[in-house]
Amino acid sequence: MVMSFFRKGESGIEHIERRVVSMLGEARHSYDMAIAAVIGGADPDTVEADIFETDERINRAEQELRGELVVHISVQGADNIGAVLAYTLLIKKIERIGDQAKNVFDLTREGVSLAGSPDSAELQRYASKISGLFGEVTEILSDGDAEHAMEFRATCDKLRHECEQHVRNFMHTDEPGHYAVPRAVLYRYWKRIVANLSGVVIGVTEPLQHHEYLDGGTTGLADD
Amino acid sequence: MTTDGEAPTNSGIPSLLRSTLVVALIYLFLVGVSSLEAGIKVMGADTQERLFSTVSNPIAGLFIGILGTVLVQSSSASTSVIVGLVATRALKLDDAVPMIMGANIGTTVTNTLVSLGHVRHSAEFKRAFSAATVHDFFNLIAVGLLLPLELATGMLSNFAESISEQLLGSAGSEWKSPIKQYVKEPVSWLKDAWGAVGVSGNILGTLMVASGLLIVLAALAFITRNMRLLVADRVERSLNAVLGKGAGIVAMMLGVIITVSVQSSSITTSILIPLAAAGVVSLRNAYPVTLGANVGTTITALLAALATDAPEALTIALVHTTFNIVGILLLYPIPKIRDIPIRLAEGLAEVAVTRRSYAVTYVIAAFIVIPLTGVAVLG
Repeated sequence: MVMSFFRKGESGIEHIERRVVSMLGEARHSYDMAIAAVIGGADPDTVEADIFETDERINRAEQELRGELVVHISVQGADNIGAVLAYTLLIKKIERIGDQAKNVFDLTREGVSLAGSPDSAELQRYASKISGLFGEVTEILSDGDAEHAMEFRATCDKLRHECEQHVRNFMHTDEPGHYAVPRAVLYRYWKRIVANLSGVVIGVTEPLQHHEYLDGGTTGLADD
Repeated sequence: MTTDGEAPTNSGIPSLLRSTLVVALIYLFLVGVSSLEAGIKVMGADTQERLFSTVSNPIAGLFIGILGTVLVQSSSASTSVIVGLVATRALKLDDAVPMIMGANIGTTVTNTLVSLGHVRHSAEFKRAFSAATVHDFFNLIAVGLLLPLELATGMLSNFAESISEQLLGSAGSEWKSPIKQYVKEPVSWLKDAWGAVGVSGNILGTLMVASGLLIVLAALAFITRNMRLLVADRVERSLNAVLGKGAGIVAMMLGVIITVSVQSSSITTSILIPLAAAGVVSLRNAYPVTLGANVGTTITALLAALATDAPEALTIALVHTTFNIVGILLLYPIPKIRDIPIRLAEGLAEVAVTRRSYAVTYVIAAFIVIPLTGVAVLG
């Protein structure tokens, strides 16, 4: 452990960035597993342990990263204070995504399985699109491409509004509750996941004061 | 992740250039120590005796060590000056030992002051203050045990002297320090420069000492600043690897390595305070790093000894190292004894958090009033 002092290696902020990307990978894994159980027809009992273990890893990573961010400031001084505050908010968003993936999985505990339902193809299309967003976030965090981040956030805004519309439609549908409620809940979770993914890349384009806010700083992420 | 105003930490000077600058600063530091030595030598024997008569009382010497270190906020600087003075033989080795121990106590003021920055938040302050004062208590207990033992038996100085003798020769003799040869020239330029303005004798000696002190302090300050920038990523990486893992000896080794790298125990111990305040590192995990810093900081005095040609200079530098290692051997291995400084620090923090003014009173009393009174009464 002490020999790490003598080895050449990445800078503190690079190390934090790498761990954030890995945390995001874990959140995506959790999300994909939950979707496989709810829409893909995978046996919930088989994926449950994986999802909960992944969530524990995400939670542990968040706590360790908070400590590493404090170490970074203590050692390096205030030069990177903006990045440190941004990462503090960002890792909380990723942790929330992990929780929301778990919430999606929790639908199976209520006996919900949308595999083979008439709209399963459309649901799967949404699920895959959102899974793909995780990969894009990783790319944006790594290359810091502001243009890509703007496009990504526009895509997220569109998806969020679509999800919102689906939730509204299910609120007024004539379909029975056991059909409408699970779908409304699922779209609601998707909307939250998309909002959080958009929030993760916000640091690339927006000043720190707007982090945790959407729609140009008017909507708090938690209110969305 | 990009944010407005973000700047790379190690910005400005490239690492290679900064490393070269550090080497040059170390050279300047050695020139400073040598100037100090030369300045004292220029003074007459009577002046030398008058200057150092105060410290013939060991407790007064201890308090002078504390005060001098509090004043320059660096035990590296104060111990280097002591080494330079011992090299002149005007300051006797036996008189310098308590001063070295005092420097060890004095250096703890820096992180205690840093901890006062958290005074507004009770829980944070309690953690920060206990992490800072554990260093104070360890050094006070170590001095309380080892100073009487040293005065009675000369244990530490005898041991250091035997090492020094094996390496350089007996006390009173001269050894040809290879580094001394390289710093001789600039010191004689300095002497000539002061001589050219028409000063001689004690005034020339005083000016040489003052120049030497200034050079030592400035060089150490810049060495510390540059080394901190050079090794910041390594420090961060190794702290992440070690802290929170509860690894006592490994954490102690890390404390040694970081302090040797940045040439300042205050930097190492002060880095720990915000970490302790935030709860990222526990008092028990911070404690061994602090003890490692105590040992690591002795490297500067050892380095300073290389700029002199008196074996006594190396002996006093080795006394500093030995004192800290023996202190750890006495107070760290047995868990019940190890807990004493921790419990005392926690107790003091408990009191300080209920009455904040006690914390400030403690700092002023322990580091200024008591040493000043001691010097006034005993000196």
